[in-house]
Amino acid sequence: MIHIITAENRRHYHHALMEMHRQRKEVFIDQMKWRLEESAGIEIDAYDCPEAIYLIEASTPRAPVTGSARLLQTDRPHLLADHFRFLCDDQPPTGPDVWEATRFCPAPDTAQGQPRHDLLARIIAGIMETALIFGIERVTFVANAALAPLAAKAGWDAQPLGPARRVGRDRLTAFVASIDQQGLKRVRQRNGIKTPVTRFLGDDVTQAA
Amino acid sequence: MQARINWAFAEICDSAQTMNEVQEAFMREIRALGFSYSACASHVDPLRPPAEAVMMVDYPRAWLERFSTKNYARRDPVFKAARQQTLPFQWSDRNFRGPLAADQLRILDEAASLGLGDGFTIPLHAPDALPASCSLVFGPDGVDPLNARNAHWYAVYAHECARRLRMASIPARPRLSPRERQCIELMGQGKDDGAMAIILGLSEHTVHNIVRRAMNRYGVGSRMQAFVRALKDGQIRLEDVA
Repeated sequence: MIHIITAENRRHYHHALMEMHRQRKEVFIDQMKWRLEESAGIEIDAYDCPEAIYLIEASTPRAPVTGSARLLQTDRPHLLADHFRFLCDDQPPTGPDVWEATRFCPAPDTAQGQPRHDLLARIIAGIMETALIFGIERVTFVANAALAPLAAKAGWDAQPLGPARRVGRDRLTAFVASIDQQGLKRVRQRNGIKTPVTRFLGDDVTQAA
Repeated sequence: MQARINWAFAEICDSAQTMNEVQEAFMREIRALGFSYSACASHVDPLRPPAEAVMMVDYPRAWLERFSTKNYARRDPVFKAARQQTLPFQWSDRNFRGPLAADQLRILDEAASLGLGDGFTIPLHAPDALPASCSLVFGPDGVDPLNARNAHWYAVYAHECARRLRMASIPARPRLSPRERQCIELMGQGKDDGAMAIILGLSEHTVHNIVRRAMNRYGVGSRMQAFVRALKDGQIRLEDVA
């Protein structure tokens, strides 16, 4: 179950959000040695804000987090425009109906291989379901050499915005994916996902949910 | 640290006359951020703090008593890690827990059993202050990570104001003359009176008297004590002698 966390319902998700930021620190700073901002002992940067939408996979709001991702509006500061513009041949797509997916983070104990690929597929399905709820028509993202082929053939319509470029020891590619019902259907079929993966609690529900 | 600055809180701290006023304002803000307990304090015995210690603590009494009785200030892994780094750390972090000894993990378990289980610590380093840190315990509904980030600014600001008030409240410390400071510093580098006399172009007798005067200012009976006091006061700096 992937919980959709927005400014309106994030107060029900303090535990899950904190756990997500802890996992981001362990995965990106401790394991992958990315040079990222660290505050309060967690990885949390200038783009983390109430306006971001977080996708956190956990069976309940208080259960262990198994994976997460972050969606940012592109009419506000975001990574593709601020840091990865050089990956785009033309201006990166922006606007109220274009959002950017960043910080795909499998829980640190996620096994390599299939379990990670399955998690990525569920997160992609979750991004698409979220996009369809919120009227997001395109989603941009940057993928490294390991993730790019998986993200490209997940079943959605993802197009590179420019050639892959070497950054440090990795190769990065920027993509834009168009979101529609048919694409979501293909992602579900290709990855054996039978039911909707997301859950969106409104503001009026309590911890009991 | 991308903190949102609360100017009203800064105003209260700046105009506070006592550490209690700072503590009250600090605890109010910290609770509003979702924390259940906090300890923004010098690393000392919490029930017998020295006069210059900052003590803004609302931990359960039972824990403070155990901490004091068992003299945990000497073994507390949180104090230890806070002395060795400047970045805040969460108590669940593997980097923090990994290297701990069994008795240190037991201290963390005992704290957890009294409601101090999940949270993080902000190391606080200031020259001429006792080692200190601010530990913040997550409340039952958890803490919004954006609030946790903001807490850092509150901790640093409150500690700095409390420290200034503490320092102002204790009697003025003796000040060494430039010559006395020079001699104590050379002493710290291992020079004896003869060597100091040559370096400073003075007689050995004069050097001996200068060191005596420094000892008298501190009211101590040994050169070693005079050196340690001057170091603690910040009149000489560790990096100049070691």
